[in-house]
Amino acid sequence: MPEDGGKVDPLPEESDTAPDVKQGPSGLTELRRLLVGQERRRLEELERRLDELSLTPAELADKLPDAVALRTARDKQLARSLAPTLQDAFSESVRRNPQNIAHAIFPILGPAIRKAIGETMAGIVNTINRAIEHSLSLKGLKWRIEAWRTGVPFAQIVVKYALVYRVEQVLLIHAETGLLLAEVTAEGIPAQDADLISSMMTAIRDFVQDSFDAGSEEEGDLRTFEVGERTVLVEQGPQAHIAAVVSGQPPGSVLEQLQATLETIHLHFTNPLVDFDGDAAPFESTRSLLQECLQTVVATDRPTSLGLAPRIAWVVTILVIVVLTTLALRSAQRWRAALTVLENEPGIVLIEPERGWRTWRLSGLLDPAAAEPMRLLARMGLDTTRIEARWRPYVSFEPSLVLARANRMLDPPASVALGLRGDTLYAGGSATPEWIAGLVRSGPLPPGVTTVDVSGVTEILPPELAELKDEVEQHRIQFAIGSVTLDATARGVLDEVATAFQRLRGIAEERNYAAALNIVGRTDTTGSNETNRLLSQQRADGVSSILAGRGIPGAAMNAVGIGTSDPLSSTAATDQARINRSVSFLVRVTFGTDRGGTQE
Amino acid sequence: MIQKKICMVGMFATGKTSLVQKFVYSKFSEKYHSTVGVKIDRKQVEVEGTTVNLLLWDLAGKDEFQDVPASYLRGSGGLFYVVDGTRRETLEQLYALHEMAHETVGDVPTTVALNKKDLTDQWLLRTDDYDTLSDHGLHALGTSAKTGEGVEEAFLWLAAATIKS
Repeated sequence: MPEDGGKVDPLPEESDTAPDVKQGPSGLTELRRLLVGQERRRLEELERRLDELSLTPAELADKLPDAVALRTARDKQLARSLAPTLQDAFSESVRRNPQNIAHAIFPILGPAIRKAIGETMAGIVNTINRAIEHSLSLKGLKWRIEAWRTGVPFAQIVVKYALVYRVEQVLLIHAETGLLLAEVTAEGIPAQDADLISSMMTAIRDFVQDSFDAGSEEEGDLRTFEVGERTVLVEQGPQAHIAAVVSGQPPGSVLEQLQATLETIHLHFTNPLVDFDGDAAPFESTRSLLQECLQTVVATDRPTSLGLAPRIAWVVTILVIVVLTTLALRSAQRWRAALTVLENEPGIVLIEPERGWRTWRLSGLLDPAAAEPMRLLARMGLDTTRIEARWRPYVSFEPSLVLARANRMLDPPASVALGLRGDTLYAGGSATPEWIAGLVRSGPLPPGVTTVDVSGVTEILPPELAELKDEVEQHRIQFAIGSVTLDATARGVLDEVATAFQRLRGIAEERNYAAALNIVGRTDTTGSNETNRLLSQQRADGVSSILAGRGIPGAAMNAVGIGTSDPLSSTAATDQARINRSVSFLVRVTFGTDRGGTQE
Repeated sequence: MIQKKICMVGMFATGKTSLVQKFVYSKFSEKYHSTVGVKIDRKQVEVEGTTVNLLLWDLAGKDEFQDVPASYLRGSGGLFYVVDGTRRETLEQLYALHEMAHETVGDVPTTVALNKKDLTDQWLLRTDDYDTLSDHGLHALGTSAKTGEGVEEAFLWLAAATIKS
């Protein structure tokens, strides 16, 4: 043992006796001092220190926490010193009873592992999600087609296929006894015998463990089993298991939630779980936790189930359908409009209108005088190159067509207008006597016309004839009231009329015209119509005979009394009566033969 | 409501399933059905003012090829032993079964049904057998799944015992 002189105090009393070496006992003492002095001193020092240090276990218990805290604050020496001991203790504890440690750290182990795994999986999950979304959109299209094909509402098809999963029932099972602690069932799911199921599940689990893990150190777990369309997920804890009956395909999130719930229950219900003796009442409050595990997830719940590309595809599809429908509707509308126009058009009879995919085919009867059908359709804005038409000619008796045909056949001058009433063709306006004669004498009449009436046409005469005509017609023979007597003045006038008409006849004959003199007798309005008509006839006849006496052949004259039926008009009332007590003249010049007025 | 797990334990063909069927469904069939693994039934009973939901684990009987699996026994609130009164060996082997079960589940209430009591002419158990059972701390009762004799009593006795324990 090395000497530590600096710390050992010298012993003064022994130093004092040191010189008495001659005394017997004192010599022995001296010898002892020389031989073991150093050691004795050290022993005494140690004794003194021990006296100072002696601490009872109780005192140590008081001081240990402070001492540990003090030393820990000062440096890490304590931790270093304890580490090997603690490691040994831990190893020993695990070796003796691994369950204890496992149970103790169970609540923190789960979250930690899940976090680590979760992060690793995130990348993979993203990829999978994208794949699923893609396939889902295709499925969505398939479901829509099925809904459309079968007439089943789309929502039902979705429920049929898109139910990804539904957690129907969640059981909390006591691990040791297999007895049911708590149970929740989803709405609308018939309640099962949860207590029997939980016992059965425990039995199955025991059986599986016995069968697969006999003799093996590790404890195997029955985590999933399938019954028909349902999957039972079992999450096991040291004191209790949680089991979920799921229809459909449960994703990992369901299991995660079960784990989290089971850990929470273990954390908050440690004592009831350990002390469980068959009374499940303390676990009533776990129902709200279990309730959170009940989920129904359908594919359409996923907000991103339809990606951008399928969405665009949908929009495009809908647009295409809208455009096609609009086009089809417009095409049908145009078709109907075209048919209406053609059917309403005189001279067109549609027999087999046929609308094809791109071309229209028309066939029927067409009057050559009718409007050109293609032109009608073109005027409607239709593409006539896509219209095929086959027309057979026919004759229509539509008045407008009869008239059109008459116009084409008779070719009247611009001054003549033709009209049709019933089957009589009326001509109006003015024309040369030749044309009028030609019309009257024209061979076959246009189809649909049986009679031609030219009484409305005024002859257009050569100037010298027109002059003479005017001269004749300007004369009027006046009569006294109720009289038929022709006085000297009247006879003088008649001389002029006869001269002028004879000249007119001469010129007309040179031109192969025939001239006729219409002698029209009238009366004023006094007296009866019959009397007036007779009086007017007598007046006209009187004039006629006078003119015959002046060389005008009777055949060229036509005396007619019209009474008051077609009076000459004047502004003054008295003058009106006077001028109608008269005979007036009307010259008609016709071409060739005598005109009859109408042709039968 | 209290739930209790009761295990039916005994040698093969002693009538465990028949007793459960009689107790739960009041049915009896002469046909023998060997139980494979375990079959679980449930019966709710009233004992001393308490409703007890008995979950009856009808375990496959022990024979020379197959032991009663200990894992099924775990967590039992009571053990229902069944002995065939016409086969002495089923009683003799019961003690070994009891020892095994006791190791697994500890001190839980037990009852012994000495079954097939209706077969009086083939009955082989004597008074001293009851004494031996009593020595082993086992409460015994004669039963017949066929006539129903003692069945209800045996189950109710065990149910009451599990509550008191």
